[in-house]
Amino acid sequence: MTVKKITNNKLLKKIGLFLAILGPGIITGSVDNDAGGITTYSVAGAMYGYNLIWTLIPSFLVLLVVQEMNARMGIVTGKGLATLIRENAGVKITFFIFLGLLLADIGNTTTEFAGVAGSLEVFGVSKYISVPLVGFIVWVLVVKGTYTVAERIFLIFSVSLLTYVVSALLGHPHWAEIGHSIVMPQVKADGSTIAMVLGLVGTTIAPWMQFYMQSSVIEKKLKISQYNYVMVDIIIGCIGTVIVAFFIMVACASTLHENHIVINEAKDAALALKPLAGAFASQLFAFGLFIASIFSATILPLATAFYVCEAFGFDAGISKKWGEAQEFYTLYTAIIIISVGIILLPNAPLIGISIWSQVINAILLPVVLICMILLVNNKKIMGRYVNKPIINLIGWATVAILIGLSLMLLVSSFIVK
Amino acid sequence: MTSLTTFYLSRLLGCNIFDIRENILGRIHDVYIRMHTSSDDYQSGNPQVIGFAIHVNGKNKDAMLDNLQIVKFGIHYKVQCQSMTLVSHNMFSDAVLLKESILDQQIVDLNGRKLVRVNDIRMVTIAAGTFVVAVDVGTEGLLRRLGVSRFFKRILQPFGGNIPSKFILWDDVETIDPDTFNIQLSQTRSKLNTIHPSDLADIIEDMSKNYQTPIFSSLDEEHAADVLEELRVKEQVHIIESLPLGKAADVLEKMPANEAADLMDHLEEDKTEQLLLEMEPEASEEVRDLLEYPDGTIGSLMTSEILTFMAEQTVSDVIDQIRTEKPEMESLYSLFVVDEKNTLKGIITMRDLLIADLQAPLERVMNTNLNCVNDYDRLDAISGIVSKYNLLAVPVINEHDELEGMVVIDDLFDELLGKRRTS
Repeated sequence: MTVKKITNNKLLKKIGLFLAILGPGIITGSVDNDAGGITTYSVAGAMYGYNLIWTLIPSFLVLLVVQEMNARMGIVTGKGLATLIRENAGVKITFFIFLGLLLADIGNTTTEFAGVAGSLEVFGVSKYISVPLVGFIVWVLVVKGTYTVAERIFLIFSVSLLTYVVSALLGHPHWAEIGHSIVMPQVKADGSTIAMVLGLVGTTIAPWMQFYMQSSVIEKKLKISQYNYVMVDIIIGCIGTVIVAFFIMVACASTLHENHIVINEAKDAALALKPLAGAFASQLFAFGLFIASIFSATILPLATAFYVCEAFGFDAGISKKWGEAQEFYTLYTAIIIISVGIILLPNAPLIGISIWSQVINAILLPVVLICMILLVNNKKIMGRYVNKPIINLIGWATVAILIGLSLMLLVSSFIVK
Repeated sequence: MTSLTTFYLSRLLGCNIFDIRENILGRIHDVYIRMHTSSDDYQSGNPQVIGFAIHVNGKNKDAMLDNLQIVKFGIHYKVQCQSMTLVSHNMFSDAVLLKESILDQQIVDLNGRKLVRVNDIRMVTIAAGTFVVAVDVGTEGLLRRLGVSRFFKRILQPFGGNIPSKFILWDDVETIDPDTFNIQLSQTRSKLNTIHPSDLADIIEDMSKNYQTPIFSSLDEEHAADVLEELRVKEQVHIIESLPLGKAADVLEKMPANEAADLMDHLEEDKTEQLLLEMEPEASEEVRDLLEYPDGTIGSLMTSEILTFMAEQTVSDVIDQIRTEKPEMESLYSLFVVDEKNTLKGIITMRDLLIADLQAPLERVMNTNLNCVNDYDRLDAISGIVSKYNLLAVPVINEHDELEGMVVIDDLFDELLGKRRTS
């Protein structure tokens, strides 16, 4: 009797321990499928059908490797990525990285609010009502310090991203064809395809997420003895990200691509699904988009303000009052106001903004990755927890491929002109 | 051409060093300082520059530079020295590298009582040598490092604007990087001991976790116990778990038993057991008793550090005993009169004690209108009593009516604010 009780307790303890650690990877994974991500996956599905689904496999691998490095760095050093870059690379490099991140993130936040506007328009709400209202709610959530509660609620809601599975199934995809195109993808190496692939990788492994991931690991005060639990958390998060991405692409490919419908925004995808897969599929798609957008619209400006302040030595954190962390709150408020303002402009160049923020993301990603790989291999910082060769191989290969693709894109855009 | 007596570290780093004949001797990579000079001259509290890490022909070398000068030609600077002597690295084994260990790192601003990041370092050259004077933590320092501070100043000048600059004197900062800290500590007591425990707890909470324990261990034991009490549960657990067992037990002994018990509630069971065994029997017994109470009961919040007296004792006896024992402030919120069976007979406040005749026996001074709570009562029971009767402390009795301890308003306040339980 007693023996059984003890084993029960041990199991419960293990589950409890896991639940306590759970979070960084899964939250990062769900923030990953933000409005920008959903847009990119939808457009890729609509334009290329099943042909670009294979990119999710290398993306998954790289995402896993990158997040593992972040978690390990966070656990071993107890310092954020912004701090580590500042302390080891000096002010100049830090400044240029964070200038780029700030610009890209303002663009990304704008995309999130575009997602909010688009998804609610599907339900007939005007963007002039929805966007200022959501912007205000998001701002209050953080400034009034109820953010942690909000984060939990969003996390539960992010399960609704699985609605994309339903949306995809309602479109009756051709599984054999999907399998075939994953095993033997047919891709032309022209400019727009390269841009699309870069966009897919850039949105799945957005640079700001690395900072976010590492900070949340530190926030949890995780220990190296809990590394295995952390890995489970990361793997679940990455699988979740890729599954959702997969079904969005399938949903758009099996309906829009087959009917040759061209879309530019995630909202278009939701609207276009209606006659092809039914009103329910369309509304599900819009609902998923709404949740993803509002989740990321909360986290993204917050994370951006936080790591900029962290790098430059200003007080930051939602536990501080306005007067104690003025720079932090000013920056946070400014990002939201700018993003909301851009969306509210009549004829705002939304597609341009979303493309440009992804281009900056794609340029920044190798820079951030190079910094990370150098830091994580530094024995002074990481001690015996430096990278294993295989991780370095994947990391450097990713950097090389990303730079290569960016250069190819650059060259091909010159040739076309 | 003028030679600068004060300059910034950023002016030196990455610069070529010229000798008098304009030959390039190498490039300055970092600066070695000795934390405290033993001589009693003018700058004795400030670290002195004792050498340089330089790049010569692509190799890293350590060197001493004679008569270092920074010379200004118009808007350009040049680093000159009389001669350079390459030395072995052992020369600088007890030295600290300025760029590696202090520039861009976080340090404690003792006056502002918070962590700040070092943007630049202000130095001075006098006859006795070159010294660190202050750290620059302002925006101007950041812009200077980016090489655009002059540019911004020129733009802002016509508008009467200025770039905010902020310096902190070396005396008013403390490094937190464990390696640097240890070198400094071998020579002097940590300056952090001068900071109020609550402020220091906030600072430690803001540090990355690898710094927390070394900084904490450097504190005097009494101070450490006060700081530990003020920390969030997350940091308390982290520090106690990473301190050596003996040291952790020593600190816990110095804490009020109820706080120690609260903390141990959050540790793993075998860790708690080890700590209790390591602690002085008297202290651990008290904690053990308190640990028995489940969360949310009055016992879990109660302190057993109370002063009890007999009814026949006089006011002057009480005052004498307080003077010899020097108890903490909290223990004086309320004094208790008990009989041989430890049953509560009366309560005496500080006011009663101060206005009473010194020779009066306590039974004439004490208040017999008793508002007690039971140790296994729920916590909600207590706040009503505190506010209704304006009490600083409420006595706690067990089911045999014996006095177990008291709940003081400070702890109750923290509990109501949710400070200890959350995060």
